[in-house]
Amino acid sequence: MIDWSAFLVVTAASLFSAAVLVSLYSLGLRLLTTAGRIPLVEPHEFTGAITVLSPKKAAKQLKRARKAAAANPLTPAMKSLALLAGYACFVLCGIAVLYGVYLIVPALHR
Amino acid sequence: MPEFSLIIVLVIALALIFDFTNGFHDTANAMATPIATGAMKPKVAVGVAAILNLVGAFLSTEVARTVSGGIIKEGDGGVLITPELIFAGLIGAIVWNLVTWLMGLPSSSSHALFGGLIGATVIGVGTQAVDYNVVAAKVILPALIAPLIAGGVALLVTRLAYRITRRDVGKPDGRGGFRYAQIFSSSLVALAHGTNDAQKTMGVITLTLIAGGFQAVGSGPTFWVIAACALAIAIGTYTGGWRIIRTMGTGLTEIKPAQGFAAETSTAATILASSYLGFALSTTQVASGSVIGSGLGRRGSTIRWGMAGRIALGWVMTLPASAIMGAFAAGLALIGPIGIVLDMVIGTIVIMALFRWSRRNRVTHHTLLNDIDDAGRVVSIKKTPRRPARLGRGDRRKVSL
Repeated sequence: MIDWSAFLVVTAASLFSAAVLVSLYSLGLRLLTTAGRIPLVEPHEFTGAITVLSPKKAAKQLKRARKAAAANPLTPAMKSLALLAGYACFVLCGIAVLYGVYLIVPALHR
Repeated sequence: MPEFSLIIVLVIALALIFDFTNGFHDTANAMATPIATGAMKPKVAVGVAAILNLVGAFLSTEVARTVSGGIIKEGDGGVLITPELIFAGLIGAIVWNLVTWLMGLPSSSSHALFGGLIGATVIGVGTQAVDYNVVAAKVILPALIAPLIAGGVALLVTRLAYRITRRDVGKPDGRGGFRYAQIFSSSLVALAHGTNDAQKTMGVITLTLIAGGFQAVGSGPTFWVIAACALAIAIGTYTGGWRIIRTMGTGLTEIKPAQGFAAETSTAATILASSYLGFALSTTQVASGSVIGSGLGRRGSTIRWGMAGRIALGWVMTLPASAIMGAFAAGLALIGPIGIVLDMVIGTIVIMALFRWSRRNRVTHHTLLNDIDDAGRVVSIKKTPRRPARLGRGDRRKVSL
């Protein structure tokens, strides 16, 4: 009656697909950061879950980011390569998400 | 048979109300984390979720009739569930959904529906009409396992996300970029929810229409049923269950963008994998498990286990509580037309009372942020600086990356 193997399969499949998606996106971010294009995305709303920095601290952080970007040991060619690889990761991640949509819509695969 | 038609109209109306409560109950599953990390504005987030629920309801219509199918024995040698019992079951489910919403607890709407139907059937037909093996295998066991699977996946994936983006202390890591990803991952969860949950109501309505002889046995939901259900769940989603969003977004743990993305991806992956392999896990339980898992996965974050315990208690209570209410409503409904009128009156009074109660401390997207701060002040273990009183566009401050 109780199909234990189905639970195992679901666990494995969820872990695999989530890991692939998150790895790809994280790798993309990492490569972007390596290329010196550090993504700074501000939150739309300041909820309690977000730690708000004082202006002094924020300025410090921005300075540090600029410094880190300037002190990048990569050559321009390597930087653009990293950037390209980063975008490739995002594209792959997008394809994986589209595959998820394909799985959601039964009309597409049945 | 005018009376018979009237009960069918009532069932359809109640089913749509249930669909509405289902929508606003489950907005949090997809949108609590992106709202908490500021990836999307609250109103935009619920709008996106509403549209995707609407679209999702139209995309997939093939399941629909399995709602009462397995659990309540039907057909040859079994019993046919009558519209009166479905009516009673729906009242139980709606009331329980509103009670858990008032307490801000993310509980499974499907369990409330199953519970209400089971309770009504036990009273109307007898205990032998419920297939307890199916209840155990398809409802109780998945409810225990869903949060474990999702939590485990979210824990590992959160670790992965932090490991990959980790840089030397002091160097910017660009983790704010996960906010963009959150928009997509949460949308995927919302779409999956639309394809699943609207179908349950479609199933109930179609079952009633078949039972009433308005539709051929074995036929699927007609277009107006699909459209009405899609609209009801979308409106419900847009209304937004802000209490539950507050619980999921900040009540369990403090969520950062990387965690939010990891949690949503785990939720989407678990739901898709399970429904693709033939058994659907509760979206709510998967999403809650993911949030806790992602909290465990980030170093230095704390889980408010008291809140997690309250949520778990809510899950345990959902099936029996809605069953008891469904049974009570069924007991009245079986008296005859007067009983059904009594049911309607009592149900309306209870719903009005719950709404009046909710007015005492309203939670909307306007008050959400301040309320979160208040909640943080009371229960937060980690120190969270207060949000400045007023943030204009010009002096918007930089936040931690």
